[in-house]
Amino acid sequence: MPTLKRDLTVEQKLSRGPMDLPFLMLVVMLTAIGVITVFSASFPTAVSEGWKDGPYHYFIRQAMFAAAGIVAMYFVSKINYQAFRWMSVFVLCAAIAMLVIVLFFHTKRTDNVKRWIPLGPLTFQPSEAAKLGVILYFSARMSKRQSEKKRQYDLRTPKGVMFNWMEDVGLMELVPYVAILGVIAILMYLEPHLSGTILIFVAAAAILFAGGIKLRWFGIGIVCVGILAMLMLQGYQSARIVTWRDPWSDPSDRGFQIIQSLYSIGSGGLFGLGFGQGRQKQGFLPEAENDFIFSVWCEEMGLVGACIVLILFMLLIIRGYWIALHARDRFGALLVVGITTLMAAQVFLNISVVTNLLPTTGISLPFFSYGGTALMIQLAEMGIVLGVSRQIPAPKQG
Amino acid sequence: MERRDREDRRGSETRPGVDKRANRTILVRTIALMLAFGVVLFIPLFVQLYAIQIRDYKFYQEKAIGQQTRDNAVAANRGEISDCNGKVLAVSATVYDIIISPNDFKTVQENWDDRKEKGKTPDYARPEADVVAVKLGAILDKDPERILKALGKHSKYEVVGVRGEQEVAEEVRQLIRDLHLSNSVYPVPTSKRYYTYGSLASQLIGWVNWKNDNKGAWGMEALYEDSLAGKTGRIVTARDSKGAEMRYFFQDYYDATDGNNLNLTIDTTIQYYCERVLEKGIEMFDVQDGGFVIAMDPKTGAIKAWANSPTYDLNDPWTVTDPVLLEYLETVNAKLVEKGEVSEEEKKTAYNKALGDMQNRQWRNKAMNDTYEPGSTFKSMVLAAALEEGVVNENSSFYCPGYYKVGEFNIECSKKAPGHGQQDLAKAVANSCNPAFMMIGQALGPEKFYNYLEDFGFLEKTGIDMQGEGKSVVWDRKTFVAPGVKENAYLATASFGQRFQVTPIQLITAASAVVNGGHLMQPYVMKSITDDQGNVITQTEPTEIRQVISEETSRRCRTILEGVVDGGTGKRAYVPGYRIGGKTGSSETVKEAKEDPIISRGQDYTIVSFLGFAPADDPQIVVLLAYNAPKPVSPGSNYTAKQHYISGGNMAAVMAGELLSNILDYMGVEKLYTEEERTMIDVTVPNLVGQTADIGKSAAESAGFSIRTVGEGDTVTAQIPVGGAIIPSGSKIVLYLGAEKPTDLVTVPDVRGQTAQGAQESLAMFGLYLKIGGSSRYMSSKALVAGQSVAIGTEVERGTVVECTFVDNTLVD
Repeated sequence: MPTLKRDLTVEQKLSRGPMDLPFLMLVVMLTAIGVITVFSASFPTAVSEGWKDGPYHYFIRQAMFAAAGIVAMYFVSKINYQAFRWMSVFVLCAAIAMLVIVLFFHTKRTDNVKRWIPLGPLTFQPSEAAKLGVILYFSARMSKRQSEKKRQYDLRTPKGVMFNWMEDVGLMELVPYVAILGVIAILMYLEPHLSGTILIFVAAAAILFAGGIKLRWFGIGIVCVGILAMLMLQGYQSARIVTWRDPWSDPSDRGFQIIQSLYSIGSGGLFGLGFGQGRQKQGFLPEAENDFIFSVWCEEMGLVGACIVLILFMLLIIRGYWIALHARDRFGALLVVGITTLMAAQVFLNISVVTNLLPTTGISLPFFSYGGTALMIQLAEMGIVLGVSRQIPAPKQG
Repeated sequence: MERRDREDRRGSETRPGVDKRANRTILVRTIALMLAFGVVLFIPLFVQLYAIQIRDYKFYQEKAIGQQTRDNAVAANRGEISDCNGKVLAVSATVYDIIISPNDFKTVQENWDDRKEKGKTPDYARPEADVVAVKLGAILDKDPERILKALGKHSKYEVVGVRGEQEVAEEVRQLIRDLHLSNSVYPVPTSKRYYTYGSLASQLIGWVNWKNDNKGAWGMEALYEDSLAGKTGRIVTARDSKGAEMRYFFQDYYDATDGNNLNLTIDTTIQYYCERVLEKGIEMFDVQDGGFVIAMDPKTGAIKAWANSPTYDLNDPWTVTDPVLLEYLETVNAKLVEKGEVSEEEKKTAYNKALGDMQNRQWRNKAMNDTYEPGSTFKSMVLAAALEEGVVNENSSFYCPGYYKVGEFNIECSKKAPGHGQQDLAKAVANSCNPAFMMIGQALGPEKFYNYLEDFGFLEKTGIDMQGEGKSVVWDRKTFVAPGVKENAYLATASFGQRFQVTPIQLITAASAVVNGGHLMQPYVMKSITDDQGNVITQTEPTEIRQVISEETSRRCRTILEGVVDGGTGKRAYVPGYRIGGKTGSSETVKEAKEDPIISRGQDYTIVSFLGFAPADDPQIVVLLAYNAPKPVSPGSNYTAKQHYISGGNMAAVMAGELLSNILDYMGVEKLYTEEERTMIDVTVPNLVGQTADIGKSAAESAGFSIRTVGEGDTVTAQIPVGGAIIPSGSKIVLYLGAEKPTDLVTVPDVRGQTAQGAQESLAMFGLYLKIGGSSRYMSSKALVAGQSVAIGTEVERGTVVECTFVDNTLVD
């Protein structure tokens, strides 16, 4: 026989199915809008910083990463996601290792925040890896939940009785998840990185929730988080709340960012000042190309533009969950739920912060905020979702 | 859900069922997440964006624009103020404030030091503070110490010089270049108002306060601020957070709109006459509390002149120049110096308070802000009312025993017993007889009397376009018409203008109605407002408020009031050639609760006034002038130190005559002399020597002289008096036709105590000529020669002109 290809396994066949086109289109559109917005938001900063490529400095970099990210997304989508089951443990371990490393090896900053590991000209946030690790591992573990046998305990010892009871009420199965989240939370608290921690918790909670963990544990979890939040509301954090309620109480310091953001959004009105015409980015709005990029978009494109972007995000998120609902197996479903929820939480928190719906915390806007590695990881995650979408069984004909 | 979970666990042996249930759980919970994260969470975001971008759009937009833009004002030129003939009264020009920035000065010095350190020492000396202070001080005429102190401050903006002229700014700029001060010193253009005529019509024109953004502070400047000021323009530049011009952004220019020009009804010349006569009277009569003159066109209500005293220079409104006010300030100062126990600070405060009071006093427009008892001038209106109502006529007769009994009160006439005796209406008005007017008032009755008070506009403001018009103090109708004894006294006193107060502008407005045919006109000062091209934007049309009396009544009033000047109490206002009507007034004042710092009201505070109009047959000008409180030589005396009898007739009327004569001359009103007057007009004698006898005769006769010829020749060889002499036109001149002109000297006789007629005859007997001199424009039979220009007994040539001054010692109120 001439060089006949070996028959593909069923799995391989499945992983060569078509990508979910609506999801892909939404990702590409948002990325494109995001990169263009980075250009508009960053050129005054770029000019005043005096880069040799002038106003295009940030734009060029972001565009390059976006292109690379789209390519990466494509290749990730080609990977049969079942492979992530076994990879997940390593990803999680690597992420935790990096969270430790970053505490000792990080970029120097005046505020002494230890979030970035320098990688040559680039920087890398271990928390991004932690998000992915948690989502992968939790999905993999939760998907096996139903097949796990009930453990037997020696009921003659009190310890055994207690464990048995814990097993019965479903507490025992939570132990590894809580342990992992606890370790990560502690490590990220040391950076410190509150917003990243919140996002990891939300994504993890979504996977546990969809995976079927009893609702009472979420109730208990929310109470615990509430108590923790109350305790943290002392000192610095409580000042943050005051600023949130009334940014004008400290307009030149704490309230400055949010006031400038509100000025930007507000002065956009219904139709905005026109693309590139924003004024607030001229040194008034801090981090115009980063956390507050959506404010620039609102100033230039108005409420109409803002709504278009929000609707694109809504469609993307809904489509993400749709993919989860149609996924071939539980692992795929949970994986997509985790990634989609993570993105949704990030969008919600970022826009809530820039519109002062919630107190300020540093969360970037997916596909928009400047940051090459973050954009690449995001697109890679989208690639995972698209990979899952490839294996969706085709609807029955006829 | 809870239930289903439990079932899941229970049936763990039956795998397909468990799987199915587990899958169902994932399905349901994922849909829940989809709804929560894909829809519900977005709702508050939309709501919040709507709130920020639509609901609070204005707020945020304004705030954002506020921080993004730098507004540079572009000053608008303030409009000019002109009189009715287009003479400019107020005009603006650019001047410069000199600003220093001590912070920038330090930078300038540091830069110099920097360059020196780097071995590139500049080729000019290091700018030192003391050098700058001395040089700048010399230019600005300021104490260098103060500038040095300002330079030492931590500041970016210190004003060291205000309102310097163009040349000063140029010198400062040169200094900046010479000393390399760059932006640490700079002139800032601002506007200065110049008042062409200084103190002319100061209370009326008002001034702009450069301490308050060059806004109109008083008078027309304040009232028409909006029209005059124009609209400040703006250059709006988008700036980034560091103040640098924003990249690729806008620069908007909003043109400054220059102010419009204000044209007043005031006539600068008439205004000047009014002020001159006011000042003159104040000095002549030892007036202690100033006065006012208003001149008005009775036909339209246009104000032609508006003078107040004390007054001030509009170009320097804070300086007190009036002698009376200055004297007061000096006494205050002297008292403060005497006080030992008070601190310097307190002394300064006390003095500044007194100064502030005096400033307010000179700025105050008393002819409109304040009220006064009109006195006998008010009788004009009572007369008009009585004639209109027909309660009296020219044949009515009044007997004045020197007093009039109202209820149980005896109200005295100004001429005490035996009084004016029997008099007809015209005579009673000419005498300004109070009892007669009380009778007229009684005849009118309180109701009608009050109606006329109202119709003549004494109960409401005139509505003149000036600031702070005062409100008259008049009984209300109910009080006035009540039948009681006391109330009758109100009517009685009101009949001769006492015990109520009106503003001068109300009085002259009402008086205009009496003489102009009965039309109560709204007085006004703004003639028109024009833009810089001269286009009229608004103009005042004369507004008749109502007709109060008929044309016929008005005519009768004019005739009777002319009689006041023609031999009545106002005779001193008489000007030969002009038909002047009027009414005198002397009002006593009532003590006020609040004691005035300069002069207290009461018995010795008399307001002497005169209300005049001319020509009497067709009035073109109405004047009201008043002097407040001529100083009696001793308390209670009726004479001033200079022997002037304190009354409207003896004071205000004299001045009014001079004033009206000036105004009528200026207005070009033709003089019409009576036969008797004609002989008294001064005429220049023509030089007839060398002419033929016939030509000489006719020339002399045409000039109004009568002629006597001596000799039989054909040519005039000599004449008496010589050509160029000024003598009354009724005089006889002598022409010598070949005959010798007598060269003998004559002795000047004593003509004192004679009337003009008599004096002329006495002098003619000696070949001398009489000239009526001095300010005595009036020639009544009662005026007697008081002094002569050539001493008695002097030997003089024939034909010499002896100028005599006349005095009329009759006392009139």
